[in-house]
Amino acid sequence: MEHTVAHEEHSGGGTKEIVRVTVILSVLTIIELALGFWMIDMPLESSLRLAVKGAIIILMLAKAFYIVAYFMHLKHELKNMIMTIVVPLALFVWFITAFLYDGNSFRNLRNTYDPHFKEQSTIKVEKKAESKHGESKHEEAKPAAEKKAVE
Amino acid sequence: MSTATVTPTKLWGGGKSPFNVEYGKLMMWYFLMSDAFTFGAFLISYGTIRFSTNGWPDPNEVFKSFPFAPEGVHAPLVFVSIMTFILIISSVTMVLAVHAGHNMDKKGVVKNLILTIVGGIAFLSCQAWEWNHLYHEGAWWGSNPFLNHDGTASSTNFTNYFFTITGFHGFHVFSGVVINIIMLIMTLMDKFEQRGHYLMIEKAGLYWHFVDLVWVFVFTCFYLI
Amino acid sequence: MSNEAVLHAHSDAAAHDAHGDHHHEHHHHETFISKYVFSQDHKMIAKQFLITGMFWAVLGGLMSVLFRLQLGYPDATFPWLEDILGKWAKGGRITPEAYYALVTTHGTVLVFFVLTAGLSGTFANFLIPLQIGARDMASPFMNMLSYWFFFAASIVMISSIFVETGPFSGGWTAYPPLSALGDASPGSKTGMDLWMISMALFVVSSLLGGLNYIATVLNMRTKGMSMTRLPLTIWALFFTAVLGVLSFPVLFSGFILLIFDRNFGTSFYLSDIFISGVGALPNEGGSAILYQHLFWFLGHPEVYIILLPAMGMVSEILSVNSRKPIFGYMAMIGSMFAIAVLAFLVWAHHMFVTGLNPFLGSIFVLLTLLIAVPSAIKVFNWLTTLWRGNIRFTPGMMFAIGFVSLFISGGLTGIWLGNSALDIHLHDTYFVIAHFHIVMGVASMFGMFAGIYHWFPKMYGRYLNNSMGYIHFWVTIAGAYLIFWPMHYEGLAGMPRRYYDYSIWESFKQFAELNRFISTVAMIVFAVQLLFLFNFFYSIFKGRKVTVQNPWNANTLEWTAPIRPGHGNWVGEIPEVHRWAYDYGKDGKEFIPQTTPVGADESHH
Repeated sequence: MEHTVAHEEHSGGGTKEIVRVTVILSVLTIIELALGFWMIDMPLESSLRLAVKGAIIILMLAKAFYIVAYFMHLKHELKNMIMTIVVPLALFVWFITAFLYDGNSFRNLRNTYDPHFKEQSTIKVEKKAESKHGESKHEEAKPAAEKKAVE
Repeated sequence: MSTATVTPTKLWGGGKSPFNVEYGKLMMWYFLMSDAFTFGAFLISYGTIRFSTNGWPDPNEVFKSFPFAPEGVHAPLVFVSIMTFILIISSVTMVLAVHAGHNMDKKGVVKNLILTIVGGIAFLSCQAWEWNHLYHEGAWWGSNPFLNHDGTASSTNFTNYFFTITGFHGFHVFSGVVINIIMLIMTLMDKFEQRGHYLMIEKAGLYWHFVDLVWVFVFTCFYLI
Repeated sequence: MSNEAVLHAHSDAAAHDAHGDHHHEHHHHETFISKYVFSQDHKMIAKQFLITGMFWAVLGGLMSVLFRLQLGYPDATFPWLEDILGKWAKGGRITPEAYYALVTTHGTVLVFFVLTAGLSGTFANFLIPLQIGARDMASPFMNMLSYWFFFAASIVMISSIFVETGPFSGGWTAYPPLSALGDASPGSKTGMDLWMISMALFVVSSLLGGLNYIATVLNMRTKGMSMTRLPLTIWALFFTAVLGVLSFPVLFSGFILLIFDRNFGTSFYLSDIFISGVGALPNEGGSAILYQHLFWFLGHPEVYIILLPAMGMVSEILSVNSRKPIFGYMAMIGSMFAIAVLAFLVWAHHMFVTGLNPFLGSIFVLLTLLIAVPSAIKVFNWLTTLWRGNIRFTPGMMFAIGFVSLFISGGLTGIWLGNSALDIHLHDTYFVIAHFHIVMGVASMFGMFAGIYHWFPKMYGRYLNNSMGYIHFWVTIAGAYLIFWPMHYEGLAGMPRRYYDYSIWESFKQFAELNRFISTVAMIVFAVQLLFLFNFFYSIFKGRKVTVQNPWNANTLEWTAPIRPGHGNWVGEIPEVHRWAYDYGKDGKEFIPQTTPVGADESHH
């Protein structure tokens, strides 16, 4: 086994680095949470809310980077190995873009051609349906539709 | 001898690993990559459905409770942030265990592995409490008592995805705990001392960090945005 | 783990066993079970994959013969059908339910069990260690597990054929709602559950295998075997493994969501559904298109998982038997890399008419048509490898050339189908059937046959019978074209796929004779495959013995191993490699094996 060759040089920064990354991760999480709290009272469709969501996603990616690079030691591996792991992940870009774009398009499609779908999303439910598990499970799925039927 | 000085042609010339890692670690990395696609597919499906739906429940209204707090308390994000920190700390202890393994420090490995296992079990307990709480509020697969942001009726897909994805993640945490317990037993039996290296701990560590990594994404997608 | 370590670990274990038994043996003590059943030798595992794959090929082929019988003779009755199929062929005519079950199982089995497990499972296992100069796979144990998971998947799939409500019958793509609702059709009940368990086991098998292949190719190459000295087979199998490792998990996720939809009342894929006799379903908010996205995110790379190993083996066989270096070695690697990347970017071209956003569709058209570039480069390189070669027409070579022919004719129709506008007309017609059967199905089968004929001497130390091989080749290639070429015309005339009986449609009555012709040829071709099967099993035991180490005068490493290599492949040291695999006809020498050191006065290639 080649473990001795393989690992002595791989250990990287040591305990100091672990402490540093722990602090960074904690700070990032706290910022995320602060943004989350800030977002609670924002109006639903505001662009500020969208911007905050974007910021949270960037922070999420930063956290992911620190976990992978330092905790998983990827940063201390050879560059070729880093590439074999990072490059395939680039596939996620198109994976996410295409899926979400088509999801969005599907909603527009239904809002345009499916009056029932559109109508359902405008009827407010007055009282929170108090449901327990003994009752029929599917009723709470569409109280709006039932309300309409009653009317 | 540092690896940086080895020329690339020599590394790729055959007869040795081009990445200077043994095959098991390489396989673990690529397995985690494929697992990343499993989770990625789940989260992307969640996003797709969310994008194709007109309204969505407000996570701050759903995940607002806290154990032992009085009924009706409004404490969004508090409980989940505790869960998040538990997982981060258990990740740190895992790094320390791996680090101790590098230095052939059996005591350090044992101590940090135990801490990691405790962290994992604590996380699972938190999740169990949260699931139980949501279940008693009427949420389950195929049943969603929560309303959308704007007060309209919500589809069941909010709870469907929540339970499926956190469940799948919880399953990973659970298997991580089991793996770590096995590692602990092997350490206590001096298996690694006999082998002369703690590479197995390193691979278990990779898996554990991956579980933490996934939680970063799950946490953001379900609780924050 | 280093090369030697694999064997040492193994012989250590063996030594332990031996000492435990007080046999004092120093050699690996092999029982029938450890040698033929739970073997960890990559060569034996390869043979297990091959024979299981062949079993499935026969079963899947037989199914196609049965449903072609229905399509060719929609009015006739065959009493013997009732004898073998029972209630599925009441009165000697296949029932619609049975017809759909046959079509579905045929598709699933051929795509996954034959052309994925049977093709890349066989040849990745057999060729990777032998051609890169390794004792065995990185993890022989995981390799064994990979086969046994496949075996378990096979058992579950077979048992689904025998359940009372029949096997799954909603098409091999298993689109919801047919696959998600037990009430949708008889096959959607137990048959679908078993189908999904079987596929989940299969995903596990292919992940175990794929991770092993990747780690082996990267870590276990012998001294001197740099990546650019690898035979193209290995490159192809490597990319295949990468595709599998990255795309199967997505299918797996899709299946998990499907399981929840089936059993736990969720509506991931379900919305606004009314079943006659059951009524309106409460499921709201799901999207059936989501499943199709997830499925085809695997489904499209799957096409290349099937095709790439065939491409790699054909490259190798063409070069060996043309006695010429492969033309454009680096271009071949580059185009395989391009295909592997593009495979992940084009999945939605299977979904142009599902309600996919048209703008998104147009991007998918662009990306899809880009695949034509690397494909054309590969075809060009194969043809220029043949050009002015000193060709030996062995059966393996014939099938390799046949592969190139089929790949060209099937690939061209792909350009038609890749256009979203044309797809409105062609989608789900026989044009599609013709396209993918030629380019993916038959072409990959040809790659597989080429590989079997070429490496049979290495596998079993005997030759396959040449005369039977030629008959097999000529009938199969003529038959393949006669079956699938006419389908293009049927498809252009709008004839949809998956219909049970075309004779009741005024528009498709004109094709009655053509359909009968296709069915007849299909039966002949199937019969010839049985001849191959006979050849295969007969030759294992009674074939002409291989007497020379390197019967094809090839350069690659597997021919430096003993004629019947034991576990560990090489006796003594693993050979060291000094050159690439394609030094044919260089400096007046017919071939220079990879193990020959580069001479002082040798010209550069």
